[in-house]
Amino acid sequence: MAPPLIRTEHMGKSYHLPAGELQVLTDINVAVAEGEFIAIMGPSGSGKSTFMNLLGCLDLPSEGEYYLNGRAVRSMDVDERARLRNTLIGFVFQGYNLLPRLNAVDNVTLPLVYAGVGRRDRERRAREMLAQVGLERFMDFLPPQLSGGQQQRIAIARALVNDAALLLADEPTGNLDSRTSEEILAVFERLNRERRLTIVLVTHEPDVAAHAQRLIRFHDGRIVEDGPVARRPQLQAGARP
Amino acid sequence: MIYSELLRESGRAMRVNRMRTVLTMLGMMIGVAAVVAMLAVGNGARSSVDSIIASMGSNMLIVISGARTSGGLRFATGSTPTLHLTDADAIRGLPGVLAVAPGSGNGSQIVYGANNWSTVVMGTNPDYLQIRDWPLAAGAGFSASDMRGAARVAILGQTVATNLFGDANPVGQTIRIAKSPYLVIGLLAPKGQSFGGQDQDDTVLVPITTAQRKLFGTQFGDTVRYIMVQAGQAELLAPVQAEVDALLRQRHHITGTQSPDFDIRNLTELANAAASTTRIMSLLLGLIASISLVVGGIGIMNIMLVSVTERTREVGLRMAVGARPTDILGQFLMEAVSVSAIGCLAGLLVGGAAVLVVNRLFDMHSVVTASSVLISITVSLAVGTFFGFYPARKASLLQPIEALRHE
Repeated sequence: MAPPLIRTEHMGKSYHLPAGELQVLTDINVAVAEGEFIAIMGPSGSGKSTFMNLLGCLDLPSEGEYYLNGRAVRSMDVDERARLRNTLIGFVFQGYNLLPRLNAVDNVTLPLVYAGVGRRDRERRAREMLAQVGLERFMDFLPPQLSGGQQQRIAIARALVNDAALLLADEPTGNLDSRTSEEILAVFERLNRERRLTIVLVTHEPDVAAHAQRLIRFHDGRIVEDGPVARRPQLQAGARP
Repeated sequence: MIYSELLRESGRAMRVNRMRTVLTMLGMMIGVAAVVAMLAVGNGARSSVDSIIASMGSNMLIVISGARTSGGLRFATGSTPTLHLTDADAIRGLPGVLAVAPGSGNGSQIVYGANNWSTVVMGTNPDYLQIRDWPLAAGAGFSASDMRGAARVAILGQTVATNLFGDANPVGQTIRIAKSPYLVIGLLAPKGQSFGGQDQDDTVLVPITTAQRKLFGTQFGDTVRYIMVQAGQAELLAPVQAEVDALLRQRHHITGTQSPDFDIRNLTELANAAASTTRIMSLLLGLIASISLVVGGIGIMNIMLVSVTERTREVGLRMAVGARPTDILGQFLMEAVSVSAIGCLAGLLVGGAAVLVVNRLFDMHSVVTASSVLISITVSLAVGTFFGFYPARKASLLQPIEALRHE
């Protein structure tokens, strides 16, 4: 059997602050197989975002170990982690984080630039990806000319253009109205189904978490719940007319 | 990241804030223009001083009839001729002396056919051309018999020849100086302007004997205005000067503290002083100009620091999608170098134009040398790299999460 895509062993994160040691995450043990769609919930300050940063190799654990695709992240150097972010991981942020002076295509090609893909190839793949998220009519638009939902679709296209296996979404629908949120989540579900894309999604809203298969709940830097999403019947009936 | 990508990205970054980019380039441009123009003008000034020095003649002393004191009244130097041809002959016998040319000049009207020209007619001897390092363009110099017999022969300067004969060859023609006929036996090569800006080609040479006996008449007698003395080599100039001084004091019966009735001037020394002054001046100008290059570099650094701060989130995002620290370093460094390179090219154009204007205004022959262009390009690229490195490194060392959270 192939190793899980993500495995953490007693992973913890603490910061040295002038006021003293701040323990943000404690003893996190999680294994995520390829193709899972996981929702992360928990109150503010419970360590969700730190957990995501560690999963995304944007930060390093201070205790324990994190294995991505079977490899220990702490033993990698800066460039190796950059390479993993480039080829294996895609990020979607609450605030989209698009470069406002680049049009949709150029925003999506960004990871491919750092992957060393040629210009022609890059543009072709970016256009294909934008078409997949339903933006074929907005290829040459600048982000400020587009709606929030459209911008988040560009961000999703950017996250996946280099065939990432793991999509990390930190409150991707936090800035969107409920209809647009549903559209974005539908995109996630489709990508999870069709590409066997592994998705880890942070959210505050149970409605959003309901789209996932597994729910991990954080509290005070610890995992307090980890199991299948409870599909409450009234929620399913109410959310979808 | 590939170079073409870096270039594309820096081009995009420069276009975002056009005004700022242009102003930053302006600093660089002024620096480069100043360096190029200063080096060119400095070189031009030096070469014109050098050519004037060369045209004066080398290793030369000039003895001038001195100030005469009459009844407590001191007359101007050279106003009373006190030097004689015999003084010149005596100096010729001194050790270390290579050539001696006495001279007396006076304004005269020269006539050829229907043309006439007013110029200085100068009596001298064959050594004169050697001392002044002044070749003949045509014909021959004075012969020994010309000197002995006070022959009515003349050598024309280029300006005089042009005004009297146009483009025709004057050698063998007869001109009239003070109503007497003189045979033109030679034509001097063009020499250009002297230190004082006088046209050295506006002259006619005749044998000193002719000038004394037939041309200037009794007012001069046996006297000469000045005696040019050429030493065998530069190191002999000082001893020769001392010898000439001692000899003339003895011949003119000047004792101890009495002020002499002659004056010895070392023109080469003067000229060398002038040359080193221009050298120092051009060095100074170049130095000041390079300070403006450094100031331009600091401007680039300033703007790059602002740019890095403004684009912290962008840096974080780029890192999140796979940019390595070296990619970020390269991106900002390329931007700084691009700004300074474009500024440098503009500066070369402006500097070149400035040199053309200076040449036209001051009648100079300054040339923008390849070496000064190379120096400017190298220095400005180095300045761009040097001052761009710190901001670029600062950007590359950002932590991705902190950069992403930056507001």
